[in-house]
Amino acid sequence: MDWKEYFLAALIVNIFQMALAFVIFAFQGVLPLNPQGFPGLSWDLAFMQVISFGTNTNLQHYSGEGNCVQLPNCTALRPGVPGLSYLSQMMAVQFLQFTSAATGICVAVAMIRGFIIHSKDSGNFYVDFTRTLTRILFPLCFVASLVFVGLGVPQTLTGYQITKTVEGAAQTILVGPVASLASIMQLGTNGGGYYGANSAYPFQNPNPASDVFQIFLMLLIPTTLCFVFGQLIGKKRETRPILWGAYALFALDLLIAFTPNFPVVGPGMEVRFGGFFSVFWTVVTTAATTGSVNTSLSGLYPLVILSAFNGMLIQATPGGKGVGVMYMVMFIVLTVFIVGLMSGRTPEYLGLKITARDVKLVMIAFLVHPVIVLVPTVLAYSTGAAGAIGVGTNSIGFTKIFYEFTSAAANNGSDFLGATANTPFFNISTAIVMFLGRFAPIGLLLALGGSMINRKRLTTEAGVRTDSPLFALILVGSILVLVLLTFFPFLALGPILEFFQGRVNGF
Amino acid sequence: MSTRLSKMISVRRTTLISRKVLIDSLVRLSPLRLIANPVMLIVEITFFIVAAMALDPEAFPRLANSSLQIFYGEVALILLITAWFSTLSDALAESQAKNTANSLRRLEMEVSSKKILIEAGSRRIVPTPSRDLRTGDLILLEKNDTVPIDAQVLEGIAMVDESLLTGESTAVRKAPGDDVIGGSQVLSDTLTAKITVNPDETFINQMIRMVESSKRPKTPNEQAVTIVLIGLTAIFTILIGALLGVSLVLSLAADLSVLIALYVCLLPTTIGALLPSIGLSGISRLYKEKIVAKSGRAVETAGDTDVILLDKTGTITVGNRQAVEFLPFLGFNERDVGEAAFLASWHDDTPEGRSLIRLAYEDGFVPKEMNALDASEVYEFSASTRTSGVKLAGGTGFMLPKSGGTGRERGRLRRKFEPHVEGGVPIGSDETEIIKGAPDAIKKIVKSVPGDYDKVVQEISAAGDTAMALSRNREAIGIVRLRDVLKPDIREKIMAVKVMGIRPVMITGDQPLTAKSIAAEVGIDEYQPEAKPEDKYDIVKREQAETRIVAMIGDGTNDAPALAMADVGLAMNSGTQAAKEAANMVDLESNPAKIIEVVMLGKQLLMTRGAVTTFSIANDVAKYFAIMPVLFASTVPELKALNVLGLGLNTAVLSALIFNAIIIPLLIPLAMRGVTFKPSGTMTLFLKNTMIYGIGGVIIPFVGIKLIDVAISLL
Repeated sequence: MDWKEYFLAALIVNIFQMALAFVIFAFQGVLPLNPQGFPGLSWDLAFMQVISFGTNTNLQHYSGEGNCVQLPNCTALRPGVPGLSYLSQMMAVQFLQFTSAATGICVAVAMIRGFIIHSKDSGNFYVDFTRTLTRILFPLCFVASLVFVGLGVPQTLTGYQITKTVEGAAQTILVGPVASLASIMQLGTNGGGYYGANSAYPFQNPNPASDVFQIFLMLLIPTTLCFVFGQLIGKKRETRPILWGAYALFALDLLIAFTPNFPVVGPGMEVRFGGFFSVFWTVVTTAATTGSVNTSLSGLYPLVILSAFNGMLIQATPGGKGVGVMYMVMFIVLTVFIVGLMSGRTPEYLGLKITARDVKLVMIAFLVHPVIVLVPTVLAYSTGAAGAIGVGTNSIGFTKIFYEFTSAAANNGSDFLGATANTPFFNISTAIVMFLGRFAPIGLLLALGGSMINRKRLTTEAGVRTDSPLFALILVGSILVLVLLTFFPFLALGPILEFFQGRVNGF
Repeated sequence: MSTRLSKMISVRRTTLISRKVLIDSLVRLSPLRLIANPVMLIVEITFFIVAAMALDPEAFPRLANSSLQIFYGEVALILLITAWFSTLSDALAESQAKNTANSLRRLEMEVSSKKILIEAGSRRIVPTPSRDLRTGDLILLEKNDTVPIDAQVLEGIAMVDESLLTGESTAVRKAPGDDVIGGSQVLSDTLTAKITVNPDETFINQMIRMVESSKRPKTPNEQAVTIVLIGLTAIFTILIGALLGVSLVLSLAADLSVLIALYVCLLPTTIGALLPSIGLSGISRLYKEKIVAKSGRAVETAGDTDVILLDKTGTITVGNRQAVEFLPFLGFNERDVGEAAFLASWHDDTPEGRSLIRLAYEDGFVPKEMNALDASEVYEFSASTRTSGVKLAGGTGFMLPKSGGTGRERGRLRRKFEPHVEGGVPIGSDETEIIKGAPDAIKKIVKSVPGDYDKVVQEISAAGDTAMALSRNREAIGIVRLRDVLKPDIREKIMAVKVMGIRPVMITGDQPLTAKSIAAEVGIDEYQPEAKPEDKYDIVKREQAETRIVAMIGDGTNDAPALAMADVGLAMNSGTQAAKEAANMVDLESNPAKIIEVVMLGKQLLMTRGAVTTFSIANDVAKYFAIMPVLFASTVPELKALNVLGLGLNTAVLSALIFNAIIIPLLIPLAMRGVTFKPSGTMTLFLKNTMIYGIGGVIIPFVGIKLIDVAISLL
C-alpha cells in the first residue's frame, strides 16, 4: 500500500468500528449485559463518545458507573449523568481502546517505513493491524489484567452488589469488568476509565502498587516506540534525538510541576496516594497523552496544570501510542530544516534532503493544533456554551475550557468538566476537534513518510548529526520556542494568570 | 583602456542609498506590489487599520480608546516604517542586481556586424545588427571591430582584446578553431568566424534574464523557507484572531492597536523582509568574483558539494612548469645544457619554453650561436614525437613568421605541427641540431643512452618534478628539471575545503609519481594521475553513484559531458563553447581555483537564510514579555508579573515595535554580505551559528528592547 491507501484503509476501518460502537452506545438500553438497566446514550453523546474512544482520546462526558437515583437499578438516572452497561464497557469502550491503540502503532510504523532504506511502500494496514492486536496488545493486556486482578481490581459481570457494612447500613458495590478495561486503557494510552472518577476510584486503582503499575503501563509502549524507530530504520543511534528529546521535555514538565516554594496539591484533593503520586501521575498522563487521572484536576495547583498543558501541546514527551514518535519526527524535520540551514548545507535528515513539500506537510501538521484548540475555545464562550454549564470567565474558568479542547485536540482525554460537559455544543465540538486532531496529522505525517520512499538517499553523513546530544538540546529548545510561541497568550490567560493571582491572593 | 573598462563592469558599491533606490522603495509600498511578499502585505494592512484608529477611534467601539489617538499615530507610523524597511531592502538588492545586469549587458552591446553572404560563389558583406545573427552565420571581423556574439574562428590569425570580460589587459592571439567571445575587440588583422550561439542563448543573456526578472524562479530552498514563513504567519494570524475573540468574550478590554503590535512583532518580519534580497545579492556577490551563474539553484547546490575535482594545472599549480635546474650527463657541463636549452626554446612561446630561457639567462648561459638563430630551422612541437627543437646554420626549411604575440597553448602548436620523420633530417657537418622533449622520446632518437639517464629521470619524478631531456646532434647532453609552481594560498584553500568535509580530488595528466608528490605537497589524499579528459566523466559518475554532490571545472570540449553531469560545473571563459553551454557557471577570468570560492559562497547563502530565519523566530520570545503585560493591563493587572524587563507600561509596545522595525535595516548588510564564517565542519558551523543566531536571537531583543525603552522614556 502506498501512504494514501494505507491512510484510507486505517480511516475506513476506524470509522466502521466507531459506527459499530455507536449502535451499542445508543441502544445499550435494549441490548443484553445491562444488569443496571442503563438507558441508551443520547445521539450527540454517543457520537462524541465513539469518536473519543476511536481517536484514542477518551474524553468522557458520562460517568461509567452511572449516577443513579435508586441503586442498584439504574433505569432512573440523575439528569445529564449517563452510565454505561457492561456490554458498552466491553464491546464499545474496550473494543475501540484496542483498535485505536493498534491504529496508532500501525500508522507510526507505516510512517517510519518511509524512512527505511529500500522500502517499497508503507506496508499493509490490515496485516499490521491484526499483528499489533494479536502479538502485542492482547498478550500484554492479558498479563496486565491478571496483575490488576491480583492487586484487587474487580473483573466480573455479576452486576452491582449490595452489602451490609459493619455499621449495618446497606452499600452498593459498583463492580464490573474493570481490570480488563484498566489494562488496555493505560497500555494503549487511551485513558478512559471504567468509573467517572477514573483511577481516583479505589476499585480501578486500589493501592500504591496498582498506581505505580499503571504509570509503568502508560509509558511502556510510547517509550518502546522510540526504540522501534531506530531499530526499523537500521540506525539505532537515531533513537537518541527522539528519546532524549522526549525525556528532556518530560523532565522539564516534572520540574515545572514540582516547582519548589509553591504547593503542588491544593484543597479538596484525593489524598490516598499523596501529593507526589498525584502530581507525578498527572505529568505522566499528559506527557503520554493518556488522559487517565488518579486525582481531581481541580485540586491541582496552576503550575501542575501548566505542566499538563505542556505535555498535551507538545504531544511527543513521549506522546501517545505511535503518534508521539510521529510528532517527534515532525519536530525533528522542522528543526533540521530551520536551524540546520545554518550549517551551510541543504538540510537533510537520515540522509534524505528536506524538500519544500516536506516542509509544507510538516507546517500544516503543526498548524492543525492551534486551529482546533484556539478557535473552539473562543466559540465556547461566544456561543454561551461555557456559561450554560456554569464555567466562569475568570482565569480558572478559562483554564477549564482551554484544557477541554487542548485535551481533545491532543487526544489526551483528561478534563476538568467531565459529565457536566454533556451538552450538544461540547459533545459535537469536541468530537470534531478530536477527529481532526487525530486523523489530520496522521494523514499528513503518513504523506511525509510516504514521500521519503524511493527518494535519493545520501550516504555521506556530511549533514547535521541528529544523533548528537547537542542536537537533542537544540531540538528541545526549538520545540519549546515553537509550541510556546503558538500558545503562550492562552497559557498566560489560563494557568499562568491563575498562578500570579494565587501568588497575590493566596492559592 | 582596460582599467577603465574593468572599472565599468565592476559592480558599484550599493550600500549607499541613492535617490533612485529611495523612490523605488516607496513605489514598492503599493499594496499591489507587496502582494509578492505576504508578510509585509499584512504589516501594511495593519498600518491602515491602526491609522484609521488614530483618525477616528470612535469607529472601533470596545477596541480603541479616544484618549490614545497620539499613541495610535505612533504605532501606525512604526508599522509603515517596518514595511518600508522591507521594500528598501528589496530595492537595494535589486539595484545591485540591476547594476550587475547592466554591466553584463555592456558585454552584449548591440553592435553592427559584417555578415558574409555567399551568393553564386561570390562573397558579399552585409551590415547586420548582432541580434539578427543566428548560429551558423559567417561574419567578418576586421581591426577595431567588436565581436558581436560568441563565434569560432574559421580563417585568419588576429590579436583580440578580451579585457572587457576578464579584466586582464593582455591581448590574446586567435587562430582558426579558437573561440572569440562576444564583447571582445579585434586589435589587429582580420578574421572570418562562424557564429556558434543564438543571441538570446548566450550565458550572459541567461544571467541577465535571471537577475532582471522580478519573477525569478525561487530556488527549492527559498521555496521551503517561504513555506515556513507562510505557516508561521498563518499560526500567528489564528492566534491573534483567537486572542481578539477571547478579549471580547471575556471582556478583557485589549486595545486593538496593542494586539496588532503583538501580531506584527510575532510575524517573521525580519526574514520576510530580507528573504528576497538574500538570494539576489548572492548572485551579485558571485558576479563580483567575475563568475556568471546561469541559475540560483546551482549556487546553492555548490554549498552541498561533497567532492571537488581540481585540475592540477591552473588550479593547484600556476599554468605550466618552470625550469629550475640543469643536470648535465657525463662529459658535459651545466653550461652546455643551459645553452642548448636556450637555443631549443628560442622559438618556443610556451611558458615552459620561456622559463627555460629565463633560467639559462639568469645562470649566464647565453650561447654564442644566438646570431645564427635568425637563420635556423624550427622543429615545432609534435604530439607524435613529443619533441621540439632547432637546427642552426645552413638550414633550408621555411621560417615561421614570428609575430610579436605570445603563443597561448600547446593546442595551437599542435595544430601547426608539421610531421617530420622520426629521427629528423640528416645533420650536415656545419649544422647543430638541438632537440628537447620527454625523456623517453629523446631516448629514442639519441645515438647512445648515458648510463645514468634513467636514474636521473627517476629521481626527478620521485621528487614530484618533471624531467625534460636535451640532445645535441643526437647526443644526450643533459636533463632539465621542471618544477610545478604552486599557486599562492592553494594549500590553505585545500585545507579549508577539507575542514569543511569536502573531499578534493586532483586530476592530472602527470605520471603517478609526480602526481603523488604534488598532491602530498598541497595536502590532497586522492588524485587521478595520467588522466584523460574522459576520466573526469567517469569520476563524476562514480562519485554520484555514491550519492555525492560533485563540483568540477572544465574548459575543453572533452570536458563538456562531465560538466553537464556534475552537480556544479564551472566552465572557463577561455574554454570552448560546448564546455560553457554544459556548465552551470562560467568564470570570466578563467581561474579554475575559483571553484572553491563558489562552494564557499553556496554555503554562505544557505547559512545566511537559515541564520536570519532562526534569528527572526527566536526574537519573538522577548516580544511576548514586552507586550503581554500591557495587553490586558487594565483588566488582569496580575500579568504585569511577566514584565521581566521592567519596561514602562506606556513605552513597552513602542519599544518592541521599534526594535522589530529597526532590526531589518540593521540586518540588511548581513543579508547582502552574507554570514561570515571560518571554514570548519558542518556540525561546528551548525552549533556555532545556532549559538549566535538562535540563542543570540533570544537574548538580543531583550537587551535591545530595554535600551530602546530607556531611550524613549528619556525623551
